[in-house]
Amino acid sequence: MKKLVATDSLCTGCGKCTEACSKAYYKVQDKNLACLRVSENPDGTFHVEVCDQCGECAAVCNTNVIRQDKFGVFRLSKKECAGCLMCVGYCPKDVMVQSDDHLEPSKCVACGLCVKACPTGALSITDR
Amino acid sequence: MICIKNIKPYEQIEQEEIERLKAAHVLRARLQYEKKPLFRGYTDKLLYVDLADSKIRIDDIPGQVKEKFIGGKGYCLRYLWDAVTPETRWNSPENAIVMSAGPIGGITQYPGAGKTLVCTISPTTDIPIDSNVGGYFGPFLKFSGFDALELIGKADKDVIIFIDGNKGTISIEEAPLEAGDAHILCEQLTLMYSDDEADRKNVAVVTAGSAADHVNISMLNFSFYDPNRKVVRLKQAGRGGIGRVFRDKRIRALVCKFSGIKADLNKPHNMSILNKTGLKFHREMHDLDGKQNNMRKIGTANIIEVMDAYDLLPTHNFKFGSHKDIDKIKSTVFIEKYLTQGAPDGCWYGCSMACAKAADHFLLKSGPYKGQRVCVDGPEYENAAGLGSNCGVMDAEAILELNFYCDTYGIDTISYGTCTAFAMECYENGILNKERTGGLELTFGNIEADFELIHQMGRGEGFGVIVGMGVKKMKEYFIKKFGADPAFLNDIGMEQKGLEYSEYLSKESLAQQGGYGLTNKGPQHDEAWLIFMDQVNNQIPTFEDKAEALHYFPMFRTWFGLMGLCKLPWNDIVPADNSKTAEPAKVPEHVQNYLDVYEAVTGTKITVDEMIKQSERVYNFQRIFNIRMGKGLRVNDASPYRAMGPVTEEEYLSREERYDKQLRELQGLDPEKMTLREKMDSTRRYRYEQYNRMTDAVYKRRGWTQNGVPTPEKLKELEMELPELLEVVNQVLSN
Amino acid sequence: MLLNDRQYDFFENGITVQDVIEKMNYIYPKLIVKVNDRLIEKQDYANTPLYENDDVKIYHLLAGG
Repeated sequence: MKKLVATDSLCTGCGKCTEACSKAYYKVQDKNLACLRVSENPDGTFHVEVCDQCGECAAVCNTNVIRQDKFGVFRLSKKECAGCLMCVGYCPKDVMVQSDDHLEPSKCVACGLCVKACPTGALSITDR
Repeated sequence: MICIKNIKPYEQIEQEEIERLKAAHVLRARLQYEKKPLFRGYTDKLLYVDLADSKIRIDDIPGQVKEKFIGGKGYCLRYLWDAVTPETRWNSPENAIVMSAGPIGGITQYPGAGKTLVCTISPTTDIPIDSNVGGYFGPFLKFSGFDALELIGKADKDVIIFIDGNKGTISIEEAPLEAGDAHILCEQLTLMYSDDEADRKNVAVVTAGSAADHVNISMLNFSFYDPNRKVVRLKQAGRGGIGRVFRDKRIRALVCKFSGIKADLNKPHNMSILNKTGLKFHREMHDLDGKQNNMRKIGTANIIEVMDAYDLLPTHNFKFGSHKDIDKIKSTVFIEKYLTQGAPDGCWYGCSMACAKAADHFLLKSGPYKGQRVCVDGPEYENAAGLGSNCGVMDAEAILELNFYCDTYGIDTISYGTCTAFAMECYENGILNKERTGGLELTFGNIEADFELIHQMGRGEGFGVIVGMGVKKMKEYFIKKFGADPAFLNDIGMEQKGLEYSEYLSKESLAQQGGYGLTNKGPQHDEAWLIFMDQVNNQIPTFEDKAEALHYFPMFRTWFGLMGLCKLPWNDIVPADNSKTAEPAKVPEHVQNYLDVYEAVTGTKITVDEMIKQSERVYNFQRIFNIRMGKGLRVNDASPYRAMGPVTEEEYLSREERYDKQLRELQGLDPEKMTLREKMDSTRRYRYEQYNRMTDAVYKRRGWTQNGVPTPEKLKELEMELPELLEVVNQVLSN
Repeated sequence: MLLNDRQYDFFENGITVQDVIEKMNYIYPKLIVKVNDRLIEKQDYANTPLYENDDVKIYHLLAGG
């Protein structure tokens, strides 16, 4: 299954990943509009929360608009989505994005843009 | 446990069969219309259909109607009033069925927002009945351009009314070949009116069922397509016999098709508040449901064993509040063996409460579909209690079977349970026997007889038709035909105003006796459920406390009906810190959510007081409507004694310690020195007196006279001095 | 001991909130417990002893149905 993984020990909290992610779809630089979240631990290290394609979002959707593709990635069909936001509320990692300027939420599709943007190699895409 | 991932999709009806049905349709009328775009929750249009001459008309909804009646049930009652006269009965041609979703109806962000309100003059009560139902029809109707739908007149052949909200067409089609039973009919029409599989979720069907041609206690099914199971699901506008009126008009079905559901279709004033409030709720549901009511696992049936433990589960026609075999029908039996888990079972978009549970591929043991595997929607708590314990049927599979047949035949499960329980008690008391029932041995717990009874209703045959008239008419029939004792039947017949009681035992909660008795449509708990506050928590000990609760809760809950909302997300989950609030029973944060959502959709900011006032206007309007129809006075608010206390020696003796204690503590009597008869008589006198004193307090709080009439001063205070209301009120006050 | 403003004599000193809930067969999950007006959290039910003059409120939060 294709998914994004993070190695917390390599993260420096620079924010390049969230910047790349929010720019990709929302065309703005806003960490609140990124499908991954970086937070600082009390000891100064960082934690990166990423979508592990667990599929909870798909399980709560009453109209099946979030479906798994052949790589195991859950993709949300914006065309069909009614914007109820249940998936956002039920995301165990809280990494789905909701923006008042858009009718539908969005989620990580393991595209790898954040991986490319990360200067330290803290992010990677696995196929396992 | 059965998981949605392992559910095989249901087989579909062959396309050839659908084509055959469709080919027999004859177009009677067709209207192409310009769709009015929504603005802040409203289209301000009403769709009017007269079945008699196939007339289709689109009317403007005046500003004054909007201001006073808000939407949903308010609109339904307003248009119903205008359609009927005091002489109108359920089967008069001018009787209307009115449906409306309300301004919040159809939003996708906040749970429970897809409700349709339905009103008509009821065949069992002869006054307006209102019912609140899920499924997709109401929101689709609104997005097709109509805040309300009014159906009057009678067709001479079976017809379908089809609204295509995308194309902007309304048609009336003769439909001679479709099935009568709802589970098949809804599938036929969902397939017929959808373009392909993906389009099925865009078709919503309203239909009754085959029993609606024969019995008064019949309801309306509202469908939605479940793409997970590939099956049409059914929700019910259950109470008061609306299905009977629907079929009397020869309507086979209403179909509304609308594709393109989006978060902003109501053109809300403020999307951001909607998103924020909805998301907050979804998170609460995610975090807390498992610790609270398990609505996602079992829905309303979570309280079956809870009601039993508190002696509130109606058993053997409301004689007792618990049953020794409760373990056989408790919620965990349904969760572990029958109800599919992990499915997003919302009956409208965005309902994270998802309580519309289903038993998949359930094998039927009786009736026309014996041997088939079907999807059973339910059981709701009411079904388990009404079809189960109240009839002594302590068998999960029998409950599911009866649940299925009630739905597909179009029978209200609550009325079916209460009617059958009444007939069973009459049987056990010798009022009925095999000869009189046509061979049915209607003893409590006789599942075989129960199954036969329901199939008789479906076929319109035998004793089933008698039971299906409802408890009120059954009482009259048994008195007239069999010489039954009227006093006994009136004591044990659990109906008031002609509506059967829903499934809670109110004997030990005076406030709930009022919650049932002092209602507009009859004894349904959707106005107020005060049993725990009153009986267990002892939070409302005085008459004034009870009166306050019997003002606030019915008004607050009326508001759901104005909006197109469901009651369940209000308090079947509560915020983590709810217990720290001043009035936890009201769930203040959720009330604020509703005010926020109202503002977000309509652009009008209101307070709780204004919310209550919106409801009071419609509530008083409905009360006066009842008076106009010849009911709605104090005499109509009296309750059968079974709802208030022990009718029989068997009941008294079953809880003797409790009743004796009350004689000592409440009346200062010494039960040791009294005969059983004396103890029962004293208890009865005391309870009647208590009910009367509470009624006094409630009427006062609601601004009514001691005869239960809203005063002109009250109408003035509510800015509801409408001439037609004053006319009714003044006439009754001058008598 | 007062439970929901009703006198109950059959409770012994030192009985815990949890014991009362069990004795009364209060199986409904959404309870609000207050002892002498102090809110008791669920995790403390078993280690909150009650005494003769305590004013105990165990409110069942359901105004629904």
